Amino acid sequence: MYQRLLTRRYLTSKVMPLLAALAVVLCTAMVLISWSVMGGFLKNLMESGRTLIGDVSINWPNAGFAHYEDLIQRLEAHPEIDAASPMIETAGMLALPGDRLVRVIVRGIDGPSYAAVTTYEDTLYWQPLEDPLPKDDARRDWRLENHTRWQRTFNNGLTLTEPDPATGEPRPAVVIGIETSGYNFRQPAGFIIPGIPLVPGADGVMGQLPIFLPDEKVTLHVLPIDSSGRGIEMVTRILPVANEFRSGLYEIDKQTVLVNLRALQSMLNMDEARRVIEGPAAADPFALGGDEADPNFEPIQRVEIDPARVTDIVVLGRQDDARLTQQYVLDVYAEFAAAHPDVPRADAIFIKTWEDQNATMIAAVKKETALVLFIFSFISLTAVFLVLAIFWAMVSEKTRDVGILRAIGASRTGIAWLWLRYGLAIGVVGSIFGLALAYTIVYNINTIHDWMGQALGISIWDPAVYYFTEIPSRVNHLHAAIIGLGGMLASTLGALWPALRAARMNPVRALRFE
Amino acid sequence: MTTTPPILSARDVHKTYRLGKVRVPVLRGAHLDVHKGEAVAILGASGSGKSTLLHILGALDTPDRTPSSQDIRFEGTSLSALSERQRNTYRATRVGFVFQFYHLLPELSVLDNVRVGAMVALGLNYRAKRPEVTDHAAALLEQFGLGHRLTHRPAELSGGERQRVAIARALINKPDLLLADEPTGNLDRETGNSILDALEDLRARTAQTLVMVTHDPAVAARADRVVSLADGQVVEAVPAPAHATHA
Repeated sequence: MYQRLLTRRYLTSKVMPLLAALAVVLCTAMVLISWSVMGGFLKNLMESGRTLIGDVSINWPNAGFAHYEDLIQRLEAHPEIDAASPMIETAGMLALPGDRLVRVIVRGIDGPSYAAVTTYEDTLYWQPLEDPLPKDDARRDWRLENHTRWQRTFNNGLTLTEPDPATGEPRPAVVIGIETSGYNFRQPAGFIIPGIPLVPGADGVMGQLPIFLPDEKVTLHVLPIDSSGRGIEMVTRILPVANEFRSGLYEIDKQTVLVNLRALQSMLNMDEARRVIEGPAAADPFALGGDEADPNFEPIQRVEIDPARVTDIVVLGRQDDARLTQQYVLDVYAEFAAAHPDVPRADAIFIKTWEDQNATMIAAVKKETALVLFIFSFISLTAVFLVLAIFWAMVSEKTRDVGILRAIGASRTGIAWLWLRYGLAIGVVGSIFGLALAYTIVYNINTIHDWMGQALGISIWDPAVYYFTEIPSRVNHLHAAIIGLGGMLASTLGALWPALRAARMNPVRALRFE
Repeated sequence: MTTTPPILSARDVHKTYRLGKVRVPVLRGAHLDVHKGEAVAILGASGSGKSTLLHILGALDTPDRTPSSQDIRFEGTSLSALSERQRNTYRATRVGFVFQFYHLLPELSVLDNVRVGAMVALGLNYRAKRPEVTDHAAALLEQFGLGHRLTHRPAELSGGERQRVAIARALINKPDLLLADEPTGNLDRETGNSILDALEDLRARTAQTLVMVTHDPAVAARADRVVSLADGQVVEAVPAPAHATHA
């Protein structure tokens, strides 16, 4: 009982324990803030990674697989599957205005169904904006004005078509990743303004050319591949740019071009094709045909239809658990493959969740988060040593108190517990205030950051450099609890050695201590 | 005079301190008997070992391991046979210490400084007995003229008042034996006399057994019996004054 009384009195009557508590406050807050920001960063990245691929994808690269409409129908009939959309993915080259040539991943998509599986609509960058971004105080974002124009650009992007100026008929178009061209410039306020880059003119002289891609056309080169995986002949097509997209993942936005599915199928020879099969009589130039009623009749020629193919089907599940959706897709595909002998077998096809597909990136960010946490936790060990140093000094200062308590009958264990309890109390106080500080900072991190920028000219998070306009942050209450307990443990550990020292003191010498 | 066994008896007590490589014997076979209700003063010069003897009697310190003939007994029980825990209990409940420099806990109020002795002795049982302990502590402080100082901190008290608080703390668990180490050594003559008066008054009311060490013959003369410590031994026994109270 005396430990409780003395802990309370020591806590409230000395400056030194408050310094120890302050160390715990700062370390606890530092670890939780860094974990929250890195956790938020990871979450944003993962959500962005899911943006353009849905929950699960069925993939058979190169030649692709046929009867995909039937597969989509079967998938969408499953009660746990929300939507499915066909896709083709291949490599290509994109020639941009200004004689810029970039290597790209070309994805052929069917806009409306793709939008049902992914958040494609939201990624279309050029669309009407009602309110400015949080940092756009001067309302300089182009999208805030001229809504009719941006609505048209948005619709074009959604359907991956653009009306033919001559006929008004929709013609296939492309939607390019916002970073792909290199002609767009991120502003500190987070929005994008097309730049006026230096490009070589026809005479070879460099000149400035205003380029806004949705007003331009691009040349797309792709290489069709036959069923054996060999390239056939490069196909080139000039396509108008319907819009640009911003997924939030730099690697995707830097090198991806979305193309109207039908157009890409056509370019890659993956569209529906009529195939003429010649019968044995075809070799005879004088053959006149035969009686079709004859059971042995063989026509000179017959026409077969090769169905259109795609390389991927992207699927959205009704549940948040992509692994469950993956299992449902596997089941449906097995039935589909059994019904169509000319498609890849169920045990051969690639069926991956969005996490599987982004595994490298997710693992990298997770490792970075772990590394940052390790570093900050290691730094937080200073709290242990700070508490230890402060407690060591306090035990020295309170040596006589130890002697007095021993003289009136306190045990060594009781003395040790007094100091351990004191350390724990400092840990509890420090952790509570540290967590409160961290929550306050994390929930207001962007406001604080903006204030720092305005008042002190300090800008740590520049949207022109980082990909997210706002500092991502997300407090995980479990993490907060772990850190709080860690702070208490660290403080108690820091008090351990001084506590043992106090317990081992010779009471007579302690009483004579001056 | 009857031959009732002493409440405290020390036989052939040796204690040696080590100062670097030098061994300094302080007690060299000290003998002392204290009877219940008796007030014994141990008179000795500074450094004669009287405080050491007091600490050993109160189980705050231990004598040398040799010789084997040495023995300290309280109510017939050898202190050397007690475990660490039993020694703690002995200090908490059977003896009360009063020190020259008061040794109060500066962060605690006067009342808490007295109650802390009960907290140590009672452990978790203190919570249940808190009202009773508080009443007892307040009554003790009232007896020593400190009823109006309960919430004050030691720093706000005079030397004499602090020593009274220290005596009240020593008495909170109603110990059988009060061990006072130069209780007036840090006080002026007048204040010292008031402390001695308070102790005498206490003994008159409760027949409290007291062992007091002092270097001041005038202070020692207030005891029932005076023994002198020289060369590490109780070498001289001064006949007890007429007002000796032991049986």
